[in-house]
Amino acid sequence: MNLFGNQLVKLLSTSLTSLAIAYSGISYAQQNTALEACYVEGLEDRLMCGSVSQPLSKKPSANNIDIHFAVIPAIKNMHPKEAVLAFAGGPGQSAIEVAAIFARNLKYARESRDIILVDQRGTGKSQLLQCDSGTIEEQFKFNDQALSFVAFTKEETGTCKEQLGIDLSYFTTVAAASDFEAVRLALGYEKLHLYGASYGTRIAQEYLRQYPSSVASATLDGVVPMQQSLVAIGDAIDNALNEVFLDCMAEQACLSQYPSLADDYQKLLEELRKTPITVTIRHPRTFKEIPLVLTESKLRGAVRMALYGHTTRSLIPLVIDSAVKGNYSPLAGLLGNEQTLGSIAMGMHSAITCGEDWPNLTEADRKQFGQSYFGKMMIESLDTVCPIWDVEPVEHDFYKPVKTDIPVLLLSGGLDPATPPSWADLAMVSFSNAKHLVSPSATHGVAAQTCANKVIGQFIDSLTFSDLDTDCLDKDNLKQYFMNINGPVAHQETEQKND
Amino acid sequence: MMRLVQVLYKKEMLDASRDKRSVMAGLYYAIGAPIVMCLLFTILLKQLSSPDALEITIENPQAAPNLVRFLEGHDISHSEKSSVKAIRLIIDTDYAQDMSQGRSALVTIVADKSDNKLIKSVRRLEMSLARYNSEVAGLRLISRGIDPSIMRAVNVQTQDQATPDSKGGMFLGIATLSIIIALFYSAMNLAIDTSAGERERNSLALLLSHPISSTQLVLAKVAAIATYSMVGLILVLVVSKFAYGMVPWEQLGFSINLDLMFILFCTLIGLPIALMSASLLVFVSFMAKSFKEAQSYVAFVLFVPIGLSMMTTYDIATEYVQWAPIAAQQYAMIEVIKGNELPLMQVLLSSASTLALFAVFSLLSSRMLKSEKVVFGL
Repeated sequence: MNLFGNQLVKLLSTSLTSLAIAYSGISYAQQNTALEACYVEGLEDRLMCGSVSQPLSKKPSANNIDIHFAVIPAIKNMHPKEAVLAFAGGPGQSAIEVAAIFARNLKYARESRDIILVDQRGTGKSQLLQCDSGTIEEQFKFNDQALSFVAFTKEETGTCKEQLGIDLSYFTTVAAASDFEAVRLALGYEKLHLYGASYGTRIAQEYLRQYPSSVASATLDGVVPMQQSLVAIGDAIDNALNEVFLDCMAEQACLSQYPSLADDYQKLLEELRKTPITVTIRHPRTFKEIPLVLTESKLRGAVRMALYGHTTRSLIPLVIDSAVKGNYSPLAGLLGNEQTLGSIAMGMHSAITCGEDWPNLTEADRKQFGQSYFGKMMIESLDTVCPIWDVEPVEHDFYKPVKTDIPVLLLSGGLDPATPPSWADLAMVSFSNAKHLVSPSATHGVAAQTCANKVIGQFIDSLTFSDLDTDCLDKDNLKQYFMNINGPVAHQETEQKND
Repeated sequence: MMRLVQVLYKKEMLDASRDKRSVMAGLYYAIGAPIVMCLLFTILLKQLSSPDALEITIENPQAAPNLVRFLEGHDISHSEKSSVKAIRLIIDTDYAQDMSQGRSALVTIVADKSDNKLIKSVRRLEMSLARYNSEVAGLRLISRGIDPSIMRAVNVQTQDQATPDSKGGMFLGIATLSIIIALFYSAMNLAIDTSAGERERNSLALLLSHPISSTQLVLAKVAAIATYSMVGLILVLVVSKFAYGMVPWEQLGFSINLDLMFILFCTLIGLPIALMSASLLVFVSFMAKSFKEAQSYVAFVLFVPIGLSMMTTYDIATEYVQWAPIAAQQYAMIEVIKGNELPLMQVLLSSASTLALFAVFSLLSSRMLKSEKVVFGL
């Protein structure tokens, strides 16, 4: 009996200790970093958060920074040694802050695999490089057409540089890639499926180039090719806006409501170029009367940002038409709404653009990209701020297209005002196992607007392209344009209804 | 004394294993129950979840083309096919006019909300319409120069402490219920056969004519029955592990994952229950006068542990019942699957009381066997 007794005690104690370990948290593959439960805005689910300490540079004397990450646990973890690593856009967006968006875009992939979100160095919780960007009142009042604009920008940049007090050369895409690998090692995953959106596709490609053996597949949504400077964006913006005008002309209701939209827009821009219009409008939140100095760049900027999403895109004809008629409220609404997108870490953004998109601009590039309004504006702006930031240019190899035989799925929106389908074609020249899908009516970020989240789930599961169900990407899910401030229905002449 | 019990235990095990067919019959439950359960769950999940492409009847769609397109974007569309759900969305004839004048445009959902098969789909439609509502309202505000975020007077954030493993709810209860019942069912035949059956074959009297005490006999029988219960338990756990892995839980946003730790834990807390169950079955069988009578009693008595387990399953256990044997252990099993902290006090106390019951039933059985009336079934 004693013999049995000892055995039993042993069994009991071993099972109890291992039980205690099992309770300590979600059991990932050999994780060797402390994780704690955490939550992010807009997502009810309990995530697991942690951080890894990474050297700021390869120099032995370099300081360390903490790279923070969050794991959205799989619903049914059928592949515990794999995970989906999501890269945020911007550049400058925090991946953890937009976890709710990633959870939606990767809804089907999440059914069987964890999702890892890493705040890239310089964003979110990983040493945020952010400077104050003025209140709505200041932005509305500011006249960017004044002669002193360049001097003003220089001063702002200098103040920001002083405030951050760090060499931005440590925050380029090449430098950040190793942080993602460190997170993978800390969490103990063997293979990752990459998902990048917008600028996130660039860092995803760089990660794929540096650590090909860690990658099982990559999905690039709104693709930035390594060969392409972000400055080339101007044409895409013009084309996307032109699509709105053509669309409206092709639709009977829109045409009769807004018969000369494109011309009206050009006329208004010309007028503003000559003299900015100063009006008093209501603050979008406080409703106080505040001055608005309307300039060409503000109008173009507001319309550009509205092109990014389906919902705001449907307001563009109304906004232009109203402004032409002297009603600037819809425009103020768009300008004020832009604030909600304002979570871009400008320091990190400058590190990327000045280190990667500016140094390699040739004279020919400058001439070509400078033809569009935004291309020209961006080149001028980079020429002003980059000498101040003084970011070390990346090696020339960075601009070579990534060569890989890992399966890559590329997604583009036909109406994308930032990364048009042609960019994806450029990116995939050296991918030997890739497929490019275009959703004609999507704008920027296909997974968020279409059934692509389902396609991504299928792709990650099968790693082949033959049995993907992609028909639904052709579905037209554009919103109808607003015909008046109440909605997409033209004014109806019917009998009076008693209110 | 222990040596004699061991010899008797060997004899009981030998006896039981001779009739292989009936042993297997007892274990069929352990193999079959999880498989049947998983088939049922799979069908149920399909019924409960809303289909990917939800087809409903939309009346007067031409009045609200933008809304119809929005719903199509959410995979909700009008259909005339037979697969269409019994949900009607009626768009008011004045919809367009009301929309253009900034009035609330009427849409009506007609559906039977008591129909469990529809409820998820109805909620999905309601949710999509609510999204459309806030989308259009947001745009209406922007076109008036107002930031739509002012509509969110309070920013309500919910932090759900559940994990995908803990959202199983009632499914978890039913799964653990089927595991616990295996302890009682796997050895039920054996228990009746070794007590009431042995008495009917007159070999019980023969056994007792040897120099052994009735306590030794009862303990040996209970140990043999408990062994079979444990075999049944381990079997049900192993089969469950694989069977539950096949159910597409993720469609409803949760999973039930029985890992190795859970299997070890169940085996551990199952041991006292197996002993208690065996002693209870033996006691009840000896109470009966005949084999047939014993079968009826046993079936009846098993309602008590099943009832206790049901109370945990359907989460209706009162403060006191939660500490009762079976109920408490099952609660602990559910907590372990959920990955929550182990209710150690509850497990220890209920295991202790389970063992106490085992002692009481064994004692009562051995007392009974001292009476010739019982031994000869008079």
